[in-house]
Amino acid sequence: MATSIKKVIVDPLSENNPITVQILGICSSLAVTTQVDTAFAMSVGLTLVTAFSNLVISAMRNFIPSKIRIIIELAVVSTLVIVTDQILRAYFFELSRQMSVFVGLIITNCIVMGRLEAFALQNPPGISFLDGIGNGLGYSAILMTVGSIREILGKGSWGGIVLMPQSYMDHGLNGLMVLAPGAFLCLGLIIWIQRTLIKKYETD
Amino acid sequence: MSTPKGDSFVVLFATIVCLVCSILLATAASSLKTAQDYNVELDRRLNVIKAFGVPTRGEDGKKISSSAIDKYFADNISEIWVDGTTGEEVASREDAKEPLQLFVWREDGKITKYAFPISGKGLWSTIYGYMSLDADLSTIIGATFYKHGETAGLGAEIEKDWFQNNWKGKKVFEDGKRLHFEVTKGRVSDKYPNGNDHAVDGISGATLTGNGVTRFVNADLDKYEAYFKLHRGT
Repeated sequence: MATSIKKVIVDPLSENNPITVQILGICSSLAVTTQVDTAFAMSVGLTLVTAFSNLVISAMRNFIPSKIRIIIELAVVSTLVIVTDQILRAYFFELSRQMSVFVGLIITNCIVMGRLEAFALQNPPGISFLDGIGNGLGYSAILMTVGSIREILGKGSWGGIVLMPQSYMDHGLNGLMVLAPGAFLCLGLIIWIQRTLIKKYETD
Repeated sequence: MSTPKGDSFVVLFATIVCLVCSILLATAASSLKTAQDYNVELDRRLNVIKAFGVPTRGEDGKKISSSAIDKYFADNISEIWVDGTTGEEVASREDAKEPLQLFVWREDGKITKYAFPISGKGLWSTIYGYMSLDADLSTIIGATFYKHGETAGLGAEIEKDWFQNNWKGKKVFEDGKRLHFEVTKGRVSDKYPNGNDHAVDGISGATLTGNGVTRFVNADLDKYEAYFKLHRGT
């Protein structure tokens, strides 16, 4: 097989990261990263949805009529997302309230559609499933990093556990980090650092 | 692999996929409904006791347990129905021409607080919440907003503590008059330099949400006024 299992899982973590290299899924990664627990829930949700939609679409890839390819993909993805949302509402009510519309917006997350088009349609189900997991993990890694930076600087805690000394809290928390510009700054810096490390530059 | 790609196959394929997806969704939705409804009801009750001014977080920062919430409802809170046209208490919802829900907080058999649902249009959505008044029905004990679809970061700030805490101790009735409660545009101190005990600071960037809140809070207070008139100062 041309694509080895290791490559499929490890590549998206750094060399071919969906967020920092492909610049996909930016919207949700900015929105849910104000604190670690929502970032984590979003990561798990997206990883599962990407993996299972890859699996289902890949299993059907020889039968899907190309005329209605995108519609079928959307139907599968939205079914999975709605089921995820329903489960969150039933068992993780507080989290689902905080994430509000962003769970539903996994449907439009470019990573999910991107992997279906780029990978699942050409590869067998097993490796497609792993590709979904790999890309989900790549997304999760960035989300958790941004979420950690924003929560520690913006709220002085990590996952709700207070980390920063009282003096930091007293002198006013870094409110910028909790707002959208904080996410842009964090993400921009991470993209810059990572691209420098893996020596990937945009070329004209 | 050669696959049939005619139009009839396209329709058939789409039908099958849609059927399978809808069956999956229906199963998930109906099997999880009990758990979801329980959460919604618990959240509603939590907001009632929050409006009553009960701290909803313990000293460890954890939310109070569902059994603690149920205990408040068993020991202190009773839910009654009031007829909005006469202001009298009725036995059940069906007995009233204009049924109004009211929560009464009793301590040692005496009523010390009242709470009632408030809701109405904000900017984008219907906002739901509860408001609690003291035994004289003139001072706000607390207000909460728990369900809305306002802009995140702007109008959605109504569910934050800083906004709701400003409501505590404000007056809705003074010297025999119903006061017009107001969520101001900007700070109260800017609009009323001499102070105003029936207005709260608005949210910057969410003036229209604030206007909506002002409108429906006053409308709801007026609806209950028939009942309040009978019980005030007794």
